[in-house]
Amino acid sequence: MDRQKWEGRLIDYIDGNATEAERAAIEHELLHNEAVRTLYNQLAELMGVINEAKVQEPSTSMKANFEKTLQEELAIQTKPKKTILFSPVLYRVAAGFVLLMAGLAIGYKINQSNIESDKLVQLQKEVEENRRMMLAMMDNQLSASQRMAGVSVAYEMEKPDDEIVSVLIKTLNEDVNTNVRLAALDALGRFSNENQIRNELINSLKTQKDPVVQIALIQLLVEMKEKSILDQLEKLTRDAGILKAVKDEAHAGILKLS
Amino acid sequence: MPKPAKSIDLMSDEQIMEAVKNGNLQQASILFDRFHKRIFNFLVRMTGDREGAEDLTQNVFLRMLRYRQSYNPEMKFQSWIYQMARNAFADHYQKQKQLKPASMEVEKLHDSLPDLAEAMEQEETEKRLIRALAKLPDDYRELLVLTRFQHLKYEEVAGFLNMTVANVKVKVHRAIGQLRENYFELENA
Repeated sequence: MDRQKWEGRLIDYIDGNATEAERAAIEHELLHNEAVRTLYNQLAELMGVINEAKVQEPSTSMKANFEKTLQEELAIQTKPKKTILFSPVLYRVAAGFVLLMAGLAIGYKINQSNIESDKLVQLQKEVEENRRMMLAMMDNQLSASQRMAGVSVAYEMEKPDDEIVSVLIKTLNEDVNTNVRLAALDALGRFSNENQIRNELINSLKTQKDPVVQIALIQLLVEMKEKSILDQLEKLTRDAGILKAVKDEAHAGILKLS
Repeated sequence: MPKPAKSIDLMSDEQIMEAVKNGNLQQASILFDRFHKRIFNFLVRMTGDREGAEDLTQNVFLRMLRYRQSYNPEMKFQSWIYQMARNAFADHYQKQKQLKPASMEVEKLHDSLPDLAEAMEQEETEKRLIRALAKLPDDYRELLVLTRFQHLKYEEVAGFLNMTVANVKVKVHRAIGQLRENYFELENA
């Protein structure tokens, strides 16, 4: 006997799902085949027990628990929704895109800034080289044009450092070439609001022997309204060894400052 | 004149669930009343543990509320809720496996089912049935619980188990065959 096959047939028979022909064949076997009959009896008993199996009753607290859960869910539902920035989704996608682009822009900027920082370092290096070259030019005792070129570079500077100022003052007081001295005076004049330079210019008037430079220096100090030079101007007017043009400029200065 | 609102009692499970999905959560209560006993019985037969089955049933209805937006109105509500019950059971089974110490890993869920038989004041035959059922592989037990205890149609079970109807029928027949062996072995034990 093919037990599995007969189990299937007998289950259909017990369930009432067998066709008339199948029923007849099964009933014939049940009469003449003890093994099939035993199998049938066992299946019928088992399926009877299954059908009679009691339905379990859940505890009554389940309903109350569910209602509690439901109320909690209702509370969540009625709670004002959190404001979600950039809703609906399309806006969020757009916002995401904007953020991405902003990120890229910042990244680019940082990169640019790094590049610029590199450029700055490069520039600073170049400035330092130029500065060294300028100082070297101003110190070139063999060529007035070189010293003039160096002073011209200093003139273009935003703010000279102490070393350059000191070289410019030295040039103003000691350079053998008048044009170089005048160029140094022009350069220093640009920074005359600096106390140190102002004082150096006042001191230079006391020692300056070059008449052209003396005149230019008086003009500058008068323009700076530097009244402390009045005494010095008085001295110049009385100095017999001074050119008349310088004396005239000193007189004019005294008139303007007093 | 507007049509009078359909009485809740006349509304199908699917219509109520759609209302729940659309925000009328209060109506979930009706579905709980209609289904919680069936779901509890499915789970108590699967776990053999009344208390655990109650917790799982609560979990199934909580899932119903939480995942209401995933309900497809074209699907029979009963299939959907049974599917959730199966998922809840599977999660519970996995958790139990993780919680058990290694020495107990081999212990199968059906070992606990006879405890239910002892706890219930039942006929001797039903106690034996519970023990025989406990000895079945999980898939066979599930098929029998769904089709023979819960009386779900083969077509519906085939739908949410993703099987053909013929396959469900064959497996149910084999499950009954194996249950018969278990049941009569216990009679002679």
